[in-house]
Amino acid sequence: MTYPSFLWLIALPLVTAPLVYLAGRLGKRIGQRVLAQGAAIASLLAAWMPFILASVELRIYGPHSFAAEAISLRLDGMGLLLAGLSLGLGTLVVLFSGSYMANEAGEEKYYAMLVAMIGVMIGLGCTGDLFNLWIWFEAMAVSSYLLVAFYRDQPASLEAGIKYLVQSAAGSVLVLLGIGLVLSQTGTLDLMEILTIAETSPLMLAAGALFLIGFGVKTALVPLHTWLPDAHAQAPSGISAMLSGVVIEAGMIAMLRSLLALTGVESLWGPLLMGFGALNMLAGNLLAFGQKQVKRMLAYSSLVHIGYMLVGLGITFYAGESGGAQGGLFHMLNHGLMKGMAFLAAGTLLYALHLSLGDHKPLLIADLAGAAKRYPIAALTLSLAVLGLGGLPPLAGFMSKWQIFVAGFETHNAWIGALVAFAALNSVFSLAYYAPLVNAVYRLEPSESVLSGKPLSGLMKVPLIVLGLATVAIGIWPALLDWLTVPAGATVLVGLGG
Amino acid sequence: MATFLMLLTIGLPWIGAICVWWIGDRRPRWQHILATGFSVAAGAASILLLAFSSSGVALRIPVGGFFGDFTLVPDGLGVFLAVIAAVVGSLAVIFSVDYMRGKQQLGRYYALILLFIGAMAGLGLSGSLLFMFVFWEITAFCSYALISFHNDDPKAVAGGIKALIVTQLGGIGLLIGALIIRSQTGNYQILDFLANAASIQPSILNLIAFGFLAAAVAKSAQVPLQTWLPDAMEAPTPVTALIHAATMVNAGVYLLARFYPAFRDVPGWATSVVTIGLLSGLLAALMALVANDIKRCLAYSTVSQLGYMVYAVGTGSVFASQFHLLSHSVFKALLFLSAGAVIHIVGTRDMREMGGLGRDMPFVRAVFVIGSLALVGLPIANGFFSKELILEGGLMHGPRWAYIGMLLGAGITACYTLRMVSMVFYRKRGSVKASHDAPVAMRISLGTLSLGVFTTWLLAGAFGELLTGSLPYHQLQTSKTFDLALELLNAPATWLALLVILLGFALWMMHKQLKPLIVFLRPLSRIAENRFGFEHLNQGVIRIARSLSSVLRRTQTGQLNWNIVGIVGGLGIVLALLTWRI
Amino acid sequence: MNPTTLKLCLMAVLSLVGIGLYGLMICRNLIKMVIVLQILVKAAALGLILAGQMSSQINLGQSLGITVIVADTIVAVVGMALAVQVQRRLGTLDVDALSSLRG
Repeated sequence: MTYPSFLWLIALPLVTAPLVYLAGRLGKRIGQRVLAQGAAIASLLAAWMPFILASVELRIYGPHSFAAEAISLRLDGMGLLLAGLSLGLGTLVVLFSGSYMANEAGEEKYYAMLVAMIGVMIGLGCTGDLFNLWIWFEAMAVSSYLLVAFYRDQPASLEAGIKYLVQSAAGSVLVLLGIGLVLSQTGTLDLMEILTIAETSPLMLAAGALFLIGFGVKTALVPLHTWLPDAHAQAPSGISAMLSGVVIEAGMIAMLRSLLALTGVESLWGPLLMGFGALNMLAGNLLAFGQKQVKRMLAYSSLVHIGYMLVGLGITFYAGESGGAQGGLFHMLNHGLMKGMAFLAAGTLLYALHLSLGDHKPLLIADLAGAAKRYPIAALTLSLAVLGLGGLPPLAGFMSKWQIFVAGFETHNAWIGALVAFAALNSVFSLAYYAPLVNAVYRLEPSESVLSGKPLSGLMKVPLIVLGLATVAIGIWPALLDWLTVPAGATVLVGLGG
Repeated sequence: MATFLMLLTIGLPWIGAICVWWIGDRRPRWQHILATGFSVAAGAASILLLAFSSSGVALRIPVGGFFGDFTLVPDGLGVFLAVIAAVVGSLAVIFSVDYMRGKQQLGRYYALILLFIGAMAGLGLSGSLLFMFVFWEITAFCSYALISFHNDDPKAVAGGIKALIVTQLGGIGLLIGALIIRSQTGNYQILDFLANAASIQPSILNLIAFGFLAAAVAKSAQVPLQTWLPDAMEAPTPVTALIHAATMVNAGVYLLARFYPAFRDVPGWATSVVTIGLLSGLLAALMALVANDIKRCLAYSTVSQLGYMVYAVGTGSVFASQFHLLSHSVFKALLFLSAGAVIHIVGTRDMREMGGLGRDMPFVRAVFVIGSLALVGLPIANGFFSKELILEGGLMHGPRWAYIGMLLGAGITACYTLRMVSMVFYRKRGSVKASHDAPVAMRISLGTLSLGVFTTWLLAGAFGELLTGSLPYHQLQTSKTFDLALELLNAPATWLALLVILLGFALWMMHKQLKPLIVFLRPLSRIAENRFGFEHLNQGVIRIARSLSSVLRRTQTGQLNWNIVGIVGGLGIVLALLTWRI
Repeated sequence: MNPTTLKLCLMAVLSLVGIGLYGLMICRNLIKMVIVLQILVKAAALGLILAGQMSSQINLGQSLGITVIVADTIVAVVGMALAVQVQRRLGTLDVDALSSLRG
């Protein structure tokens, strides 16, 4: 029996995660603290090999499955996209975390958990079975609980961890109830089979609602979003980047997979997704507007971007227009890059201004004043990231939003046109809170915390530069990511029977 | 060749921007040299490009899928806009060498200016709506970043953000128009759209036309979206000159002129354009009459002059509007830069503190007066010819009420210009003094521009040929410079306009004797100072957003039990929606 | 399984879910919260087994149920661990004490 390379892609991080932990323990004993980070980097770099192979295999053979006993795995465009996103951002986050986590006690747990979480998310993307999906989802949740509450001596981060845990667990129970309903009605858990068997019935409708809300807690649909600003703001910055850039997106992929299996049941999923999208954009913007803490503001802005993705996906669900899903998934990648960059840049500044001095105060916008002079790279990438999130060209965010908007108008539906106009309006509104950040960073008069800040290590800047270049490159040449987004968009269309 | 030159015109400033930024603020001398070099080179490339203009697509790069083709079209309108951006822009850069000497963050300053110039050239030359929008947004970003260049000043930051938000709000119109065009014609090519505009359903074409109009109104700071422009005065003065003369505000008029053939027959469109032009022309002139800040006064005058251009497009005189754009960019750059010299040397912008400065700085006075001649529209200066062309076109093809309004505007223009000149340079001495006249680099750019004021109108014939030769859809009628001048001098409308201008002068001369009239008009001037209430509207919107935000933030209680209520409530709502099918 | 038993089981699932959600909305004590979460999980496990029964795959349903119980035990353990930390750092288990992050 031959094992397809995507299996190695999933297995490698999962198997090496304990090894990373052991390497970290060993490193502590022999006084080489870099061992944990080194092992994590090695593990993730090794995973790139099967990733490249898997993407080639996907291109040659198309989507393919692997099943052993109760484990059912399937690689398709959407899975590859999530794998690419989590592996890419994950590698950069591990690189970034070197000096950020250097003074923390549980460094080796951090790296091990992070590598495991990346593996789990790749697995989540590559599943063909509803219950498997839930297992991956739960595994991802557990690993992220521990990472959110990593600073276990800080009351604020404990609080965020507790809220995140209770709400996610409640959501995952709802998903389980939905799975029960589907199983009782169709007798199968295979997503493809459900799609062909499922018939309209009140119970199946309820199952869809449970999936929407259950996975929606992780995806941070308004009004289920309340855990998000706390968790994203309190986690270590690398984890904030992962949570905002990949984890909520993984939740969305899970939601998408489960709803795609139920498209035969109900035509209302599209409007529902679009409705939540509009709600997310508006509420996210209003909540971020006037926010004084940098990381909390970025967390709220994730709500807005989830909104754009939902609008794109909803357009495809509703009208079968391929561009919507493709644009939504493209935006998922771009959001991962830009929000990752924003959190990492904010993280470098947080580290330089507060953490390295041993205090856990939140980073305020006022603290950033004049940061450009002492920390030019962090200041520039933070500005690039927020402007990209605000949708200014030639940065990545503009292009994916544009694609979603194009798809909206291709439907020739006046309501969707109005929704697109609303989304564009929100994009402009978001600049009202992004722009002051840029202005603050480039002030001449430095704040007191900038004056007392510590210098930065070189390795921390590498991920920032990589992400910054990627954001500009994609903004100038959006077709760069077509190899990921086009097959992923096609997956959605196949699910819709198109 | 045309392709190469177009790429140079857009690319040189951008490469320059990267170089200047890269070289770092520790070597300011090199930053000055590089910025000047790259901008002048771009200006030269753009002028060469004039010789290669044509109506077709010169460069096509397929981007793929949803992004269509990136195309560059070197037609008259586009090349002209690029020339103005690059040439006037390079003069602003030269001026900056003196103005910004010894200032901090030069790298950011020059990089943004160069980016701005390149984006503006790209906006003109782009043949694809998507990329035109991309360049459009880049100019919005640059203007924001440059207006709030002095980030430590809260007023500058507010002004910059306001410019960004307002122009982007208008930009939504362009965005939606472009998206509709793509959904109707299948691609983003402007030429294809102009060729097929007639086949688009009228109601949809309507939407596109008014969307584009909204974008143009915001970008060119026309009523009712003009409020960002006066606040943009917090920028360093060369930047103001750049925004007002070389880049930003021209984009709106350009957009209207570019798509005029498609929207000509949309019912109500031309009338709306004329009305907006008239309102902007008149109201802004009134505001200029009462403003005491020299830059603000000039800013209102820009809004007013742009109103003339917009009015011209509305009456079908596309050529006149573009010709006035040319004149205006030369004389307004001159006025702003010489005002900049004044501000740089005396250190205030308040005209009430100035007075009698002409004796200390004869050079600046001379060029400022030259610029004023053109602004007022007196013969020999370029502003005379272009403004008379607009008024004549308006008289022949436009509604009579609008013509009378614009004529009145010309009188008010004369009045506020004379007021400005006398308050700054003549009168008795004010509280400030000028220690010296303008330094060398400033003189170079000011001298070049004042030369331009007297000569650019000679280009009317050549400019007309450039436009007619490369714009297949516009159906322009132009004639040789000499014929044009003769025709203007023989037209009674011209003499009428000159008479009104003289009346305007007289009004200012006798403003002391006319005290009762002024007292009578005082309420009007107070309203004008309050910008006719548009500022209140802005503040209102911001207040609403803030209060909504604080209400919503209260729902983020931080209490776990309430968070769970959110989840259960969400589930309930979705189930209810599914049950009752929305 | 006869219809009456089926209905009874269904009622049990529904009432457990109701109790669980209600409990999450009103409980103040962190330990109680975790216990209520466990009630919800048990409801889900019961539901899965029931679903297996209804689609005549009782073995599938039972294995799913057991997997769920195992998986959510981990969640409960993590939750308890966090609760212990909260008790140590804040000296209370009241969730209202955990509402410093707002707005």
